[in-house]
Amino acid sequence: MKSTMNRKKTDTGSSVRAEKNSGSFGLMEKHPGSSGLMKKNHDSSGHTEKHPVSSVMKDKPTIPQTFGSEVKSHSLRALFRLSRPWMGKFILAVGCILLVNAATLLKPWLLKVVIDDFLIGRKPQNGLYSLVSMAILYIAVSLMGGLFTWLQVNLVNRAGQAIIHNLRCKVFETILHLPLPWLDKNSSGRLITRATNDISEIGEFYTDVTVNMMKDILLIIGIIAAMFTMSIRLSLVSLAVIPVMAVLVWLIKNRIRRNFFGMKHYIGRINGFFAESLSGMQTIQTLRVEEARDKDFTHLNDEYFKTTLTQVRLNSFLKPASDVFQNIAIAMLLAYGIGQVSGEGLPIGILYAFTSYIKQFFGPISDLADKYNSIQSALVSADRVFGLLDEEPILEKPDEGTPMPDAAGRIEFRHVWFSYAEEDWVLKDVSFTVEPGQTAAFVGETGAGKTTIMNLVSGFYLAQKGEVLLDGIPVSTLKKADLRRRVASVFQDVFLFSGTIRDNITLHDDTSDELLDTALRASCADSLVEHLAKGLDEPVTERGSTLSAGQRQLVSFARAIAHDPAVLVMDEATANIDTQTERLIQEALLQVTRNRTTLMIAHRLSTIRHADRIFVMRHGEIVESGNHDSLLKHKGYYLSLLEECEEPVA
Amino acid sequence: MVRFRIVLAFIRQHKPSYLFGILCMLVASWVQTLFPNLLGGTIDIMGEQGFNAASVRRNILFILLIALATFGFTWLWRTMIIGNARKLECEIRAKLFRHFLLLSPSFYQKKKTGDLIAFAINDISAVRMTFGPATAMSVNSLVLCIVSIFTMISTVDSRLTLLTLIPFPFVIWAMLSIGNQVRKSFLKVQESFAAISGKVNEGIHGVRVLKAYVQEAPTLADFRETSNGMVEASVKMVSVSSILGPVIELCFSLSFGLNLILGGRMVLDGTITVGAFVAFNTYLAMIMAPVLSIGRIVNLFQRGIASMDRLNGVFLSEPEIRDRPHARDISFQGHIAIRNLSFRYKDTAKAALEIQDFTIPAGSTLGIIGLTASGKTTLANLLLRAYDTENDSLLLDGLPITGYTLETLRNGIGLVSQEPFLFSATIRENITSFQLDRSEEEIREAASDSFMLESIEEMTEGLDTLLGERGINLSGGQRQRVAIARALLRDTPVLILDDALSAVDTVTEAHILENLRRRRKGKTTILISHRISAVADADNILVLNDGQVVQTGTHEALLQEGGLYREINDEQEENRHRLLRAR
Repeated sequence: MKSTMNRKKTDTGSSVRAEKNSGSFGLMEKHPGSSGLMKKNHDSSGHTEKHPVSSVMKDKPTIPQTFGSEVKSHSLRALFRLSRPWMGKFILAVGCILLVNAATLLKPWLLKVVIDDFLIGRKPQNGLYSLVSMAILYIAVSLMGGLFTWLQVNLVNRAGQAIIHNLRCKVFETILHLPLPWLDKNSSGRLITRATNDISEIGEFYTDVTVNMMKDILLIIGIIAAMFTMSIRLSLVSLAVIPVMAVLVWLIKNRIRRNFFGMKHYIGRINGFFAESLSGMQTIQTLRVEEARDKDFTHLNDEYFKTTLTQVRLNSFLKPASDVFQNIAIAMLLAYGIGQVSGEGLPIGILYAFTSYIKQFFGPISDLADKYNSIQSALVSADRVFGLLDEEPILEKPDEGTPMPDAAGRIEFRHVWFSYAEEDWVLKDVSFTVEPGQTAAFVGETGAGKTTIMNLVSGFYLAQKGEVLLDGIPVSTLKKADLRRRVASVFQDVFLFSGTIRDNITLHDDTSDELLDTALRASCADSLVEHLAKGLDEPVTERGSTLSAGQRQLVSFARAIAHDPAVLVMDEATANIDTQTERLIQEALLQVTRNRTTLMIAHRLSTIRHADRIFVMRHGEIVESGNHDSLLKHKGYYLSLLEECEEPVA
Repeated sequence: MVRFRIVLAFIRQHKPSYLFGILCMLVASWVQTLFPNLLGGTIDIMGEQGFNAASVRRNILFILLIALATFGFTWLWRTMIIGNARKLECEIRAKLFRHFLLLSPSFYQKKKTGDLIAFAINDISAVRMTFGPATAMSVNSLVLCIVSIFTMISTVDSRLTLLTLIPFPFVIWAMLSIGNQVRKSFLKVQESFAAISGKVNEGIHGVRVLKAYVQEAPTLADFRETSNGMVEASVKMVSVSSILGPVIELCFSLSFGLNLILGGRMVLDGTITVGAFVAFNTYLAMIMAPVLSIGRIVNLFQRGIASMDRLNGVFLSEPEIRDRPHARDISFQGHIAIRNLSFRYKDTAKAALEIQDFTIPAGSTLGIIGLTASGKTTLANLLLRAYDTENDSLLLDGLPITGYTLETLRNGIGLVSQEPFLFSATIRENITSFQLDRSEEEIREAASDSFMLESIEEMTEGLDTLLGERGINLSGGQRQRVAIARALLRDTPVLILDDALSAVDTVTEAHILENLRRRRKGKTTILISHRISAVADADNILVLNDGQVVQTGTHEALLQEGGLYREINDEQEENRHRLLRAR
């Protein structure tokens, strides 16, 4: 059954969030060389991860180290705690196990009775003590064994599924409530692994590993006990084989496991190599580097082949082992029998039962080696998952704080200082006020601190010094849910969820048709929706890949307006957009910012000109402010910023 | 059998090891079937009063020999056959990779990268499983079953044998039908797992939006539902799959029970000995394992055939673009002539590019300008033969480009596109196109001329800095500049820059263009851009609109002429100056 159970693992490790490079046009790109590779770049919505890249010829697989016992026992205890509500089911399952094991042990014993008592001993059969009733008993015992096996498996599975369902939801809840400073610092790929593969690994611990391990151990004990009750001497003879068998199996299994890491490593790299080569195929062909690529690939493929060959050899040792050990044990028993049976007649039934028992021994021992490794990896997963859950004290609590059912929309920064890392100030003593209904534009080079201002207004990040106020109340004291309902954010990277266009605009909220209508019209998304076959109910695939960048932008505007915020915070997109959509976006921008306090990071001249106030930022400080004309007249940093860039041609 | 052409060729190539492997397999299976009879015989000997200890010792020796032989031959055939299957896997994969290197862009347009990778990993692995374990298991099972049943009939009784085998077909039926249901419900489990992954993925990547619009609670509720679906699917699958084991076990114990009653009676009647009874039981146990593996074997074969068909589909797709017969291997100077060119992409009605008659003299610089989708990039694709035109409308040094081998053609024409592809290798490997014998000096010069050297030197490992996938750790402008360095180093007779400086600021662009002019002196260069500034200094400028040539001439001539070129020029000029002219 295991073959069908091979879970398809999603390759989340490689789903690195690509930093959307906005530095193509206009105000974003600085002089060559000034944005070095190793410099940290905070002023961007996505963060590049340090990607563990490897040159084809160098990288070798590494074997994960097992954890210290301290960590293990902590996780073990936590795993145990989670199972407590389902203890009843687990205890019932253990009861089933005892019965199943009893059935397993009874069967060889029944055969022994038949052979020794009836076939050799020729004892008289009467009533239940007969050949036929023994056979029926044999079948009945099998039936019982099967029934309780079924019961046990299902009991454990139900309990295990319930436990991991709760754990999975808890992990997801934690992730959703982690503050952005934490999320920005940690890899999203790893977080996805926590909520998917790690949870599955822990699930196996409950449904497959623990109970079966108990079953195996109990069976081993049972077999030994059964053997000793039948014949102590024969038991001692046959047990001479078992330790050798156990040690050999464990050693080989261990080597197989280590080699398996190598296999996984290389197949992963082959996968990556294919992915890269396929997406760069045209470049490979025009540069004529086919041979170099082929050479690198052959190298990888050969390395992989070597590890698989080792695997085949090791497995080939293990496969015939159970039969071989059984034969050896039988040979030993027979040899012992020669000396024993002096005309008495060897207890053949016992001999037969023993050969069955020895064979039954092999399964649990081989299993235990696997289970041991499963436990190791489950504990590693558990450790990571509980480590994540330990972040609880820092989680955001959206419903705590001063409520704010409505807002006029006055934004004030009072001597705000902010840094992502200690003493590395991104904002230095920033003060400004945006009156209700005004539109303020923030301009400046990458890293000047524009995005940080946006993050502070929505309470994603908190200022270290100074205060950010909404209608005169510090945002840090406001109920986060209310703050974010009053302040709608539009991000540079528009994120669309799979669902429909409507879902993406209303999200999970109840939005009146009227408001939805207004939102569509104001954001110019209505013309987009009209062109779709199913209108608002047009399905959106993962990340909205069927829509163009401009269309996604319009949907995100509609989303913001449909939530009727007092303050709009937007990071204007820099993506290349076709002329028609570009015009729509400009129009939408004019409409949505009307009658609403708007803070925007602007990249387009038309947007900047339309702003009531422009704040020019440099190195975390507001160096100039005013409107477009007054700033031009001032002939300061603003002018030089504009001169340096050029409008993208529509 | 045609579908297994590749596999059969491999088997033929490795005939000795396959023959030896199969021989070992047959021996191993046969040796295994000797054991029960030997055990039974020994028991019978020992059952007698005052038995002959010497013959028992001889039998014990045989049992040990059987153990040794089983082990040795099994190890040998597994290493041969399964090892060969692994080799087959790697050889098909290498072949597939080489085939992928040959296929033309039109092939890749139709396929998703993920699907193509699945060929290389999943499908090839399915083929391996079919020709390794599945084939071996079926041969092994067949031999074990035939020999065992034959021995059972000949040494004990045909009636008893047949009677005890009655439950076996039922086992096979149960395995296949329950197995089918399990597979179906397993698919459901996989689907729910995928649904969970999808939700987690969206939740994490879209967390900013979720937070900004206070969607935490409803998102969690939605997730809880999806997770519940997974619980239900798993519970259902396990409740089905856990029936199979007990059902099979019950069937087998019916066989044993029958044997206990009938075989036991025969022993009591004196028809067979106790040893024969034990041997019979052992045979019965021995053929249980092969019977149990039937379901798995059937499944593996089905998957292997499906995968092989998919792979054949790839292997059968021929590269559309290939060397024509009599293609020549001679170098060219770079005199390009276009005659009656009309090209349209497959499945489109309109021509993407039409040029009646146009010449780019060797050593000259041509600028091509036009709006989006005007056919600029198409020309570059055609020159490099990413696509072929119907007639020989492109001539290089007087010879149709199809008259050159692909290798010569592509070696002689460089291309830098707007979004250049960089390899996840070192910067050095990227600039040299993996020609690691290029001198440090050359590389640095190319990097310096493309204004990339300074950035490279800022990196801790300089030229040996590893780039992430697709050069993810570089900015768009840096990626373009690395690609330009790469093109400069290749120093091809013809170089095409397709909007290759779009992410570089205008000041740097001007410097790079100047370096290009210096280094490309006497060589043909084509500058494709939507910025006038990039093409203004070219010897000749081609203005494209909607796939048609609308104007040609030098910058000055075109400005005088008016038309689209001047429109674009004026708009860009105005954009620039509007910023400065306050009102």
